[in-house]
Amino acid sequence: MAADATMDTQTAVPGLDEKTFARDKISWQAAAFGAIGLAACGHLIIKQGLVSAAHLTASTMGEKLSAYLFHSVLPLGLFIYGIGTLLWIRAVASRNISFLYPLTALNYVVVSIGGKVLFNEAISTGRWIGIAVVVLGVALLQVEVKEGRP
Amino acid sequence: MTPAAALWISIVLGACAQVFLKRGVSPRTGARPTGMNLLFSPWVLAWAGCFVLATLLWLIALSKIEISYAFPLLSLGYPVVAIFSMLFLKERISLVRWVAILVVTAGVAIIWRAS
Repeated sequence: MAADATMDTQTAVPGLDEKTFARDKISWQAAAFGAIGLAACGHLIIKQGLVSAAHLTASTMGEKLSAYLFHSVLPLGLFIYGIGTLLWIRAVASRNISFLYPLTALNYVVVSIGGKVLFNEAISTGRWIGIAVVVLGVALLQVEVKEGRP
Repeated sequence: MTPAAALWISIVLGACAQVFLKRGVSPRTGARPTGMNLLFSPWVLAWAGCFVLATLLWLIALSKIEISYAFPLLSLGYPVVAIFSMLFLKERISLVRWVAILVVTAGVAIIWRAS
């Protein structure tokens, strides 16, 4: 990519960003929302790994560790979480952090709903209200995207 | 260190981590760093260091402070990142983005409060 492209996003010049980043292999949307989705999936898979290995009759610390590492999906969860972190770095490189960071609150939304679907965890009314407020905030952030920023 | 101090320092360090990462992956001049240059950039190392330290302090705080009080405070990370990005990265934050950040902060606080 062009040497001066990263500079432009620092100052959020309207209309310029989309053009400068059009040559990137993945869009910032794919990187940011992919990172958030993978982090949430990673959390859920780690939870599944901990739940599934919990019944194993492991007495010593070493046996427990080996049960989690070799007989559960826990390492897969960690791996996916790691890929999510790499995507996050990619997203941070091309957008304002004050814009991107609040998007990560979607993590709570995905994990809450994933917990309900996969593990039958209850979501209280208060939690649903919080989820709705977070989604509203993330939607408000998108107003700027339509204007060609940030 | 008091548990309250650990809690607040943890929140501020968590915010610092994101700002350091941003600084590390988008330099003022030259091409975007990649691969090994990125991995060993002092800013990226500062990100990792802050992240680890913030997590440790968070665990220290949680051992003493009630969870229903500590977790909603985590949401303060969003406005703190915004303020730091304005001060240290010269990001310009529009009114609508400030409103969005505060709405997200309230939402996350409600989620933790309700849990």
